[in-house]
Amino acid sequence: MEDLKQFSMTDAASGAAVEEQIAHNIIELLDDRAQRLTSVEAQRLATARNMAVSHLASLQAQAVTHSGVHQNGNVLQWFGHHRVTSAAIIIGAMLIAIFAVQQFGLNHNLENSDAFLLASDLPPEAYADNGFNTWVDSN
Amino acid sequence: MATPKELSDFLAEVERRAFKQTAYAVRDDHAALDIVQDAMMKLAEKYGNRPADEFPMLFQRILQNTMRDYWRRQKVRNLWTTLLSSFGGSGDDGEERDPLETIDVEDDSDEPSAQLARSQTIKLIERALEKLPARQREAFVLRYWEDMDVAETASIMGCSDGSVKTHCSRAVHALAIELRKQGLNNLGLTDAMFTNNSSKD
Repeated sequence: MEDLKQFSMTDAASGAAVEEQIAHNIIELLDDRAQRLTSVEAQRLATARNMAVSHLASLQAQAVTHSGVHQNGNVLQWFGHHRVTSAAIIIGAMLIAIFAVQQFGLNHNLENSDAFLLASDLPPEAYADNGFNTWVDSN
Repeated sequence: MATPKELSDFLAEVERRAFKQTAYAVRDDHAALDIVQDAMMKLAEKYGNRPADEFPMLFQRILQNTMRDYWRRQKVRNLWTTLLSSFGGSGDDGEERDPLETIDVEDDSDEPSAQLARSQTIKLIERALEKLPARQREAFVLRYWEDMDVAETASIMGCSDGSVKTHCSRAVHALAIELRKQGLNNLGLTDAMFTNNSSKD
């Protein structure tokens, strides 16, 4: 049984080796054929290659221009190129400004209330006294 | 990121093989040139920012997909042509195009006899390659001509490693049988191979 298994494995390996050899012989001939294209075909391929390379060069030049604008500090141009980002930045800045103004207004009101309490004739404890509230309501 | 020089070098290296592979698959040299050009442009546009060592896999995948797009378009076009011709009546004489007619016939009369024999052998191989089923040809070309390993070939073809091995093996056997029929025995076509093949079938 072992011998049979060994034999079939060897057989399969030699079969694969023969396949590889035939394939490589065929490919060698096909490679030879591929190197002998007509001048029209070769010219057309060269043109296609040049077009692809020029396209890549122009894409990379555009990418460099975009990142270069930011590095050169031309902020207005940068905002012009990144419209969505710049709109998001402006909206964010506006929200922060509104929040800051509201906070400042609230603090200002608290300060005014404190100053009024301290400067008034009544002591602050009077406002916590329920009897005082009843007296104010009745008068 | 690959430089334009690297892209140019890569394309110069593969363009001829890519053209011949496509021509064997679509059996139309003009269409093959268009397909290769499309594939080159797509590689530059979509994957130009990838490292150059990824180009072989990417290019082969793009090329195979572009070929499939071509076949799809041909299928639709043929459907319309059939429908219209059934209404129109006259036009083509209805004969199917013989794919062998599209093979270049070069004038080798001035070549030495050895080169002539080699050229004839290549023509026989090209015809045998064109007769292969599309998946077998694709596997054979990627695995042996593009020298990709089984996993890479499977990734491009969108199938398992086992399928690739099967396609390759069947392709080599089919080529061997076809070439032997044509009287070509100088490519390592041993009897053992044919007995292996018959035992497999």
